[in-house]
Amino acid sequence: MTEVSPDQTASRRAGTPSPDEDWIAELTSDGPVRDDALRRLHALLLRGARFQVSRMSALRAMVGAAQVEDVVTLAADEAMVAVLGKLSTFEGRSRFTTWAYKFAVLQAAVELRRQAWSRREVPLDAAPLLIEPRPSPDQYAEGAEMATAVRNAIDRVLTPHQRRIALALIVDEVPIDVLAERLGTNRNALYKTLHDARGRLRAHLALEGYLTPAPGETR
Amino acid sequence: MTAAGRPLSTEALSQLTTEPGPWLSCDDCFRLVDRYVEALLTGGADASAGDLAALPAHLSGCAACAEEATTLLLLAAGDEGVDPADALRRLTAG
Repeated sequence: MTEVSPDQTASRRAGTPSPDEDWIAELTSDGPVRDDALRRLHALLLRGARFQVSRMSALRAMVGAAQVEDVVTLAADEAMVAVLGKLSTFEGRSRFTTWAYKFAVLQAAVELRRQAWSRREVPLDAAPLLIEPRPSPDQYAEGAEMATAVRNAIDRVLTPHQRRIALALIVDEVPIDVLAERLGTNRNALYKTLHDARGRLRAHLALEGYLTPAPGETR
Repeated sequence: MTAAGRPLSTEALSQLTTEPGPWLSCDDCFRLVDRYVEALLTGGADASAGDLAALPAHLSGCAACAEEATTLLLLAAGDEGVDPADALRRLTAG
């Protein structure tokens, strides 16, 4: 059963279906009405997927034009299956088009990241961190001191797993989906590891006097 | 990467030590993000209330979710004919 928002209820009382109700009604009907709705939905998902890919210029260049178009088409097709499979969970708390777009955006981003990194090695070693020079002497001294403190904290307070994940995601800029695939895990688990690692680093740096905890953040 | 090590850039330093905020999984971010971008685009206080309150910290800390949320915001703004500039500024700031 699809839930409806107060806005949808109001429009129903007034006798005029909202655009969202139109989408749901048409996608759950039969015949030419449903066929037309499916065609429009696929066009919308293609637009969402194409726009996501257009914003990822660095990865797009690594993949090549023909493969990029395959990514867009595949993402729209997979998003179509996802949207239709989850139609009954649409609560009407956002517009239907925004809700549907997010499936295409996710599929396109994940697929392009995967394709772009398909031939790249994911560095998961524990090579020592280096401190990057700063432009001015003052900035250099201050920045170098903080960088040293962070590097020491990474070595001292993070678990080997937290260190490996945090460095791969942030220092080596491995996309989280790619890292999850290579490690046989998922995005949630990796983000939780990073979340906990940040908490540990911040608590240690606060104790050492390098940063002030945010309100509600424990030392 | 060579055996000599990895550079620790200012940006990486900032990302490693960013305040993680309340826990929100990437799956929950995905579940809520359509409501969040629309709340931002209408300029309502709803964007920082209730179950949306943990979104800004998650989007500050998760590059992939932030990249996708930005796209969604731009798509929704385009469909509505709304200037996305203010909403984009608030996307990770709450």
